[in-house]
Amino acid sequence: MHQLIEQAKQTVDQAELYWKRTHSLSVSYENNRLQEITENDLSSVALRAIRNGRMGSTFAVSPDQPGLLDEAKTAAAYGDPARFAFAPAGDYPSVDAHDTETERLTSQDLVSLCESVLDGIRAKRDDLPLFVEAEAERRELAIETTAGAEARCANTAVSLGFGAPIQGAGMPVFKSIDSVSPLERPDALIDEFVEWYGWTENKSTPKTGRLPVIFAPEASFLYLLPLWAGAEGDAVDKKTSPLLDRIGERVFSERLTIVDDPLDSGATGARPFDDEGVPCRRRAIVDGGILKGYFLDQRTAAALGEASTGNAVKRELFDGGTETKPSPWPIRLSVSPGDVSYRDMIAGLDEGLLVYFGMGFHSGNYPQGQFAVQAVGFHIVNGSVVGRLDNTMISTNIYQDFQSIRAVSRERGPAVGFLDVVAPYVLVDSMQVAGS
Amino acid sequence: MKEKLAGIVGGMTADYADLRYEENRKTRISFRGERLVEVASYETSGGHVRAYAKGGKAVASFSDPERAGPMAEAVATSAALAGERRDKPLRLATAPTITEAFPIESPRDARRASVQEKLDLVAHYNEMILREPTVATTEANYDEFVSHRIFVNSEGAAVEYDIVVANILGFIVTKRDGVMQRVRFAFGGNEDFGRLQDRDAELEERIAVGRRLLAAEPAKAGLFPVILDPSESGVFIHEAFGHLSEADGLQNNPAFREKLRIGEPLGKPLLNVFDDPTIPGLPGTYAIDDEGVLGVRTPLITEGVLSGRLHSRETAAEFDEPLSGNMRAVDAFNTPVVRMSNICIEAGSDAFEDMVASIDRGYYLVGAKGGQTSGDQFTFGAQWGFKIEDGRLGPMVRDINMSGELFATLRAISQVGDAIEGSERGGCGKAGQMNRLSGKATPHIKIDQVTIGGV
Repeated sequence: MHQLIEQAKQTVDQAELYWKRTHSLSVSYENNRLQEITENDLSSVALRAIRNGRMGSTFAVSPDQPGLLDEAKTAAAYGDPARFAFAPAGDYPSVDAHDTETERLTSQDLVSLCESVLDGIRAKRDDLPLFVEAEAERRELAIETTAGAEARCANTAVSLGFGAPIQGAGMPVFKSIDSVSPLERPDALIDEFVEWYGWTENKSTPKTGRLPVIFAPEASFLYLLPLWAGAEGDAVDKKTSPLLDRIGERVFSERLTIVDDPLDSGATGARPFDDEGVPCRRRAIVDGGILKGYFLDQRTAAALGEASTGNAVKRELFDGGTETKPSPWPIRLSVSPGDVSYRDMIAGLDEGLLVYFGMGFHSGNYPQGQFAVQAVGFHIVNGSVVGRLDNTMISTNIYQDFQSIRAVSRERGPAVGFLDVVAPYVLVDSMQVAGS
Repeated sequence: MKEKLAGIVGGMTADYADLRYEENRKTRISFRGERLVEVASYETSGGHVRAYAKGGKAVASFSDPERAGPMAEAVATSAALAGERRDKPLRLATAPTITEAFPIESPRDARRASVQEKLDLVAHYNEMILREPTVATTEANYDEFVSHRIFVNSEGAAVEYDIVVANILGFIVTKRDGVMQRVRFAFGGNEDFGRLQDRDAELEERIAVGRRLLAAEPAKAGLFPVILDPSESGVFIHEAFGHLSEADGLQNNPAFREKLRIGEPLGKPLLNVFDDPTIPGLPGTYAIDDEGVLGVRTPLITEGVLSGRLHSRETAAEFDEPLSGNMRAVDAFNTPVVRMSNICIEAGSDAFEDMVASIDRGYYLVGAKGGQTSGDQFTFGAQWGFKIEDGRLGPMVRDINMSGELFATLRAISQVGDAIEGSERGGCGKAGQMNRLSGKATPHIKIDQVTIGGV
């Protein structure tokens, strides 16, 4: 790796080499049976080079792949003038997100974990077509630049997800958890799954109109992805963001505080530097409802005349990886907890929704803060869950409806896919519901 | 290479094993607004190995070809471990052993166009969009994927095949008085570079839509009859029904297997749906899948009745149904899963004007904007639409997303248009794999009632 950077110094103006290696093992059970064991041993490299002031990129599986530097030089011949310099030597914060015990996990260990979860659920409900998946992963990331950055980190993660399709509808009720270290059977989560599954036995459709909606942690992506789309550097630079020139202004209820916290040691997504080798830092994005900052990588920071916030991530909404160019994303969002329990939120509603997933998010005008999704969750009447939502959509503009948040829970959990998030239950006062 | 891979597979201690090795070349050129933000052209390679042993299954991906042997051994051991934990062994349907090559050749092959030609073309379209005064920004991309794949299995199959797809696609983002709208455009979907050229007239139409949407009203929330244009009906049949045709999703879902037995009536007799990877020119067209099985046309709904399903060798054995050749992986770092090739609705007999005339108060929805399925619930969006009032098309509407329950919605298809249009762009997420090689060919359809999420 170092050798390639040294070669690059001789032939190009600047270069940045990104090298990711992952080893993962996963075990999946479907309908209570072991369906598949998967092992991946992957290496991938991205090289960006600036030559004669123009930037080009290339990718490979190893830094030793012949012709890598030449490919980058060729791409640079067609590239746009480079408007920023690759990261210099950095002072990287200390982050501990690695456990050698996780590296030693075997397929048999993951089989045992999955079977302990199956046994735990079946002790309470033995009639469900359960699915369980456990994965152990080790990731190593190294970034070097000709400007002197030498960044390296290693992460481990064990993730566990389980659930069952709702009888008759096939949509799942699911729970998930992850950890840097090997996991024990999560009994409290199993109890919650069994309780929630019990709530699905009846279907219920609210009447079309405005109702309070509780967003479970799993569904927090529904309001955090529009926030990202408004606060990311490209939208700010192109002046398409609804958050343009609103730093210091109230954009949400004062109950909402959202921090980008890449340095949270012990969290699986914690990291000392971003995908451009820029040091990461803990930073409020929204503090008590007030917008505090944007997400910037080096490209968008240069366009705005600011410094990168250490938020370059190689991903797009549905895709990502080494071959994706860096763009501004949150690293790990933490929505601050409140002081009530989510069960008290439910008990306090005359009528409302508890939503743990929304289908069709990406079809909406989310960059403007809007979404209209099929609500997956439960219908609450007179303080109790009366059944799972059926044929129900919720529509909102978060910059209007999230001005009025009635409560935030003390319990927190991860979001589903899309973003690395820890979030509480959030009770929004009123939102458009399309039902019967 | 083929012989070396066959040697590895032949040496594995498994009841069945296969190995796929890929050399992939990608070219990407991206504009954001007036700026060219990426020019990248590169090669990657890697392999994927699968084994069935003692009724269990294991798979592995690797990027270093030197790791093929050790990973194959590990997979055989893991498959046996998996088999020991199963009370019901996994089996594979018998498949013909193919030993052919399936190269792609085209007179205007995108592989032969220079990077400069590609750059000039996407720059031209991007500049066209930027000339529109209401445009706030653009996203314009050239995206080319070329894959040369070798597949060998322990039964003696040895296949070489190509995938070549080139697209120009992006977004037109318009803005006025606090309203912002994004309209998609996409050209291409196969190896033909000529299909990317001379598309100015269609792009101008899309730019005009972006401008007109700024003055459009948001859709109203509620239950409405709708007419879907071919782009929308393609996404509808893909999301709402197509995914439930993929047998790997049903394999371990007893409730749905019961609901989706062959012979089950699902819609009115006017509804005919099939999957076909052999239609020339569509994004989901291929000769052979990533399990060494030839792609064939598979009827899915015939005269309103469930008539077939999409399969892997494993699910074909499980369901005791014919092979369909639908096992596909986006690259070597992913295991193949059952997925649609080109999903199609056969043309019906209804003229568009008659369909509009049949609605008192509803919407005509145009332009696919993605969708999502879970179980029998689905959602999908429209880029724009028109109110229908008293049997006539009314003003344009925006911000439309709709949802429904599959079985009720299929039964509610009451008219099928008389002309088919094919898609030029795929894009289907499943099992963490974003497959761009997924096509559709469908007519207008009328659905008597869907839920619209709006203001």
